Amino acid sequence: MRRSFRILLFCFFLFYLPSAAGAAPPSPSLPAPDRLKYPPLTWQIPEPSRWVMDNGIVLYHLPNIELPLVSVSLVIRTGSIFDPAGKEGLADLTATVMRTGGAAPLSGDLMDDRIESLAAILRVSADRESSNASLSVLRKNLAEGLDLFSRILMTPSFEEKKLALAKNLKLEELRRLRDDPQKLAFREFQRMFFRGDPRGSYPSRSSVQSITRDDLIRFHERYFHPANVMIAMTGDLSASEARELATRYFGAWRSTAASAQIPPPEKGLSGGMFFLLKDTPQSVIVSGRFSPSKRESRFYPFELLDFIAGSGGFRSRIFQQIRTDEGLAYSTGSFYRARPDYGLFGTYVLTKAESTVRALAVLNSILGDLSTQPVRVEELSSAKKAIDNSFIFSFASAERIVSQYVSAEYDGLPGDYLKSYRKRIEAVTEKDLLDAAARYLGTASPSVTLILGNASVLEELRKIHPSMEVLAPLPEE
Amino acid sequence: MIGHRLHRAAALAILFTAASLLLLLRPLPLSGFDLEERVQKHVLSNGLTVLLFERHQSPTVSLYIRYRAGAVDEPEGKTGMAHLLEHMMFKGTKTIGSKSFSQERPILDKIADTGRLLDAERRKKGRADAARIETLTKRLEQLQQSHRRWTVSNEIDRLYTENGAADLNASTGQDLITYHVSLPANKIELWARIESDRMRNTVFREFFAERDVVMEERRQRSESDPGGKLYEQFIAAAFTAHPYRRPILGWPSDMRNLDMDTMTEFYRRTHAPNNTVIAVVGDVNPGAAMKLIRRYFGGIPRQTSAGFPLTEEPPQRGERRIEVRFEANPQLLIGYHKPPPPDADDYVLDVIESILSRGRTSRFHKRLVEELALAESVEAVNGLPGSRYPNLFAIFATPRHPHTARELEEAIYAEIDRLKAEPVEERELTKIKNQVKANYLRGLNSNAGLAGMLSYYEALLGDYRYAVRHPDKIEQITSADVRKAAGKYFVPDNRTVATIVKGP
Repeated sequence: MRRSFRILLFCFFLFYLPSAAGAAPPSPSLPAPDRLKYPPLTWQIPEPSRWVMDNGIVLYHLPNIELPLVSVSLVIRTGSIFDPAGKEGLADLTATVMRTGGAAPLSGDLMDDRIESLAAILRVSADRESSNASLSVLRKNLAEGLDLFSRILMTPSFEEKKLALAKNLKLEELRRLRDDPQKLAFREFQRMFFRGDPRGSYPSRSSVQSITRDDLIRFHERYFHPANVMIAMTGDLSASEARELATRYFGAWRSTAASAQIPPPEKGLSGGMFFLLKDTPQSVIVSGRFSPSKRESRFYPFELLDFIAGSGGFRSRIFQQIRTDEGLAYSTGSFYRARPDYGLFGTYVLTKAESTVRALAVLNSILGDLSTQPVRVEELSSAKKAIDNSFIFSFASAERIVSQYVSAEYDGLPGDYLKSYRKRIEAVTEKDLLDAAARYLGTASPSVTLILGNASVLEELRKIHPSMEVLAPLPEE
Repeated sequence: MIGHRLHRAAALAILFTAASLLLLLRPLPLSGFDLEERVQKHVLSNGLTVLLFERHQSPTVSLYIRYRAGAVDEPEGKTGMAHLLEHMMFKGTKTIGSKSFSQERPILDKIADTGRLLDAERRKKGRADAARIETLTKRLEQLQQSHRRWTVSNEIDRLYTENGAADLNASTGQDLITYHVSLPANKIELWARIESDRMRNTVFREFFAERDVVMEERRQRSESDPGGKLYEQFIAAAFTAHPYRRPILGWPSDMRNLDMDTMTEFYRRTHAPNNTVIAVVGDVNPGAAMKLIRRYFGGIPRQTSAGFPLTEEPPQRGERRIEVRFEANPQLLIGYHKPPPPDADDYVLDVIESILSRGRTSRFHKRLVEELALAESVEAVNGLPGSRYPNLFAIFATPRHPHTARELEEAIYAEIDRLKAEPVEERELTKIKNQVKANYLRGLNSNAGLAGMLSYYEALLGDYRYAVRHPDKIEQITSADVRKAAGKYFVPDNRTVATIVKGP
C-alpha cells in the first residue's frame, strides 16, 4: 500500500482579538500587545510517504535536504510492560545489550569503534509501553550506518561480558536511586498508582541479578520482528532511496510472529495517600488519577482541562496560585499522559517541609474548583488559542512530522486524528470541560497521592490524614 | 520526568552548572552550508547587536536575547541578584500587566520600603523585635493586596503562550542572562513589542513572593540534590578570589535580603542595548525583521557601562581537597584551572575533553567503566563555571560499589598521566575531529540551537564566528599539542578535588 506524496494544508488564520480585560490603554508609541495585527500564516506541511515492505514493516519517509545528515528511527511494540515477574529490568537490559553486545561479524567493542569512527549516533532504548532505536549518520556514511544498525536490531550477539557490565551498572543505578528525591518520589508514585499492574513494577537487585543471556535472546525473538516495528527515515535522502535501503538492510528480516498487544491497565484504582520518609528540607508531592484515553471523545476537553489546571504556562491555576501568588514552589504543575487505552492525570509540587500541608491544600482546592465550577470564558479561549497557535511546533521539522504520524499509527488512532485535532479542540465547550472535570477530578473518583518528606512533615500530615499509609523505606541495595 | 510539560513547568530554569549550555553549543563544522556567508550582522547606533539567519524549514522563528551580564557581575553581598532579576523580568512592564501604572507606583514604593525595613529587622535575629516583625509583615501583606487590584499577573507569559510560543524560557549563568522563545513566524512583532519594553520598563511586581520561589529553587537544586551541593562547594573551593566562586543562585543569606532598589540599579546598568546580542533564526525576511527591530529597539538609549574591575584569581599554590557530607552515595569532582576561549590552549582542552569522555570508545569509558569496573560514570567538561574569565577543566565521576571515590580518583589520574606520557594515535584524533564536525552539523538542525549558538559566542567573545571556525581550529590540533597542554594544566598543585562522604 502506498500513498502518493501529498500536501496537507494547514491554514493558520490569525484574527484580530480585542484586548484582554483590564489591560492598560496603549501608550502613544507602544501598541497594546493584544492589539497587534499579524499577517496570516499559511503553510503547507508536507505529508510523509508511507509504504509497507514485503515483510510487513511499515516505512515512513520525509526528505530534508538542508544538511548532509540522515536520521533513521524505529519504534518497536514492546517495553518493560512485558518484563516477566521476577525478571523486571529485562526489556531495558535487552535494549542496552543489543546496542553494546555486538552483532555478527562484529564484537561489541568493534561495533562501538565502527559507529564512533563514522561519527554516527546509534541508540536503543526501552520505555514502559514502547521501545525505540535510532541512528543519526552523515549522508556519506549512510549505507554503512544502516548496515550496523540493521545487524544490531536483527541479529544482536548479546555478549556475556557486556550483559554483565549492563547488569552491574543497573545495580549501581538502583543503589543510587534514593539519592534523588524527585526521581524517587515519581517512581514510588507510579508504583503505588499501578499496584497489581506491570506498569507499577520496577527492577530490584534480585530481579536484575536473575536475568540471563537466554532471557535476552528470548525477549528479542519475541518482540523484535517485522510485524512489531515501524521505521521512519528523514533527512538527505529521497523516497526511492529510502525504500531501496530499507529493502536492502531490513528486507531479510522475517518472522511469522504477530504484533504484540499492549494490555490496558486494570481499571479499578484503589486510591490512597502514601508517605515516603526521607530526611530532606524539601518535600515532593505527586498525585494522580485515571483520566480519558486518547481514543475517547473526552480526550479533547481533558487536554484543555490539563492546560488550565497546571500545564499551560504561568497563568495555569496551579502555577499561578502555588508559585506566583504564594511563592511555595519553583516546580509545580500538572501532567496528562494519554495512552490509547487509558489516561493518567497528575499534579506535583516541590515545596519546603514547612509549607507541605499548605501546598497540598491549595492543590486540592484547585482540583475541587475545577470539578464543581465552570472555567472562566477567557481561560478556555486563551487555552484554545495557545494550543491552536503552537500546533505548528509539532510539525516544525521532518523528524517531528514523521514522528507525529508514527505515534498516531502506533496508538491506533483514527486516520484523521492529526488533521482534526485542532478542530476538535476548538469545538470543546465549558460544559464539556465541567463534565470531564466532575467525572475525573471530583471527590468520587479515587486518586493516589505520594508525599516524600521528612519526619516533621510526616507528623504534621498524620494529624490531618490519619489513614495515610507510611511506605517501608527502600531496601539498601 | 513525566512528559514534556513538566519541563515546561520548570520554566525560568537557571543554567545550573553552565555545562549543559556549553555542551549544547559545541561548535559544529560546516560542509555545504556556509554559515558565515549566510549570517547577517547589524549593529544599531545604540550599540545593539543583531544576528539574522533566514531559513525556511517551517514557518517558525527562534529568538534569543543575551545580555552580557551574569552572576559574575553582582556586587559582593548581593549574590543571586542576576538570577532573581531574570525571574522578575517576567513580571511585566509599565504597559504590560498593569491596569494603571500611576496607581501602582506609590504602592510599589511603599512595598519596597516596608520590605527593606522588614529584612533589616529580621537580620537582627536574636535581638529582633518580634512585634515589629509582625506589624511590618502585616503591612507588607496589605500593601501587596492593594497592589494586586491594579495589576494583571503573568501577562508576559500569557501573551506568549496564547500566541503559540514554544521553548519560552530564560536562564542565568555566571557570564550571561538569556531570554528565548520560538514563535510562529508571523508573530515576530509580539516578541519585539515585549522584549524592547522589558529591556527598559520592567516593573518589579510580586518581588517578595518571587524571592521565596528562588529559595525553593535553591532547595531543589542544591539542598536536596547531592550533586548540586557538591558542585557548589567544589566551585567555592576552586576559586578563592574571583567571583566565579559564588553560586549563581546565590548564598541563602544574600538571597533572603535582596532588595528592589539595588536590583533596579543592576537592571539599568546591565539590560542596556549596548550590552545586548539578539539572534533571529528562521522563516523571516531579514530586511523586514531589521526594520521591526530598529523600530522597537532603536530608541532605547545606550548606558555607560560602569563595570567595576573584577578581582583576578591568583595562581593556585597547591592541591585543595574538600569533603561534603550528604546522605547519599559517593560522587567525585576534580578541576584544573585553565584559560578561557579563545585562548589556543582552550581548543586543545576541547579535544582532550573528547578523548577522555565522548562516547563508548572514549578512554574514561573504556578503561574506568568497562575494563577496571571502577566507575558508574566519568565525564570531562571543559569550561566551568563560565567562559568570560579563566575557568576550570572539570571531571565528574561516580564510583561503582564497592569501589571508593579515592580508587576512582587514582585511576582518573593514571589516564590523565597517559596524556602527558604517550602521543595520541592519529586514528583517535581523526575520530574526534570527525565527531566534532558531525555534531556541529547536528547543532545547525534546529532554529533554536542555531540562534543559541550564534548569540552565545557573539555575547561572550564579541564574535559569533568563533563557533563557525571552531572545527577548523580543532582540525589543526596535533598529538604534540595535547601532550603539551596536559603537562601544563593537569598538575596536582593546580587541582581541586571534592567528594561526597555519606553521612547526615
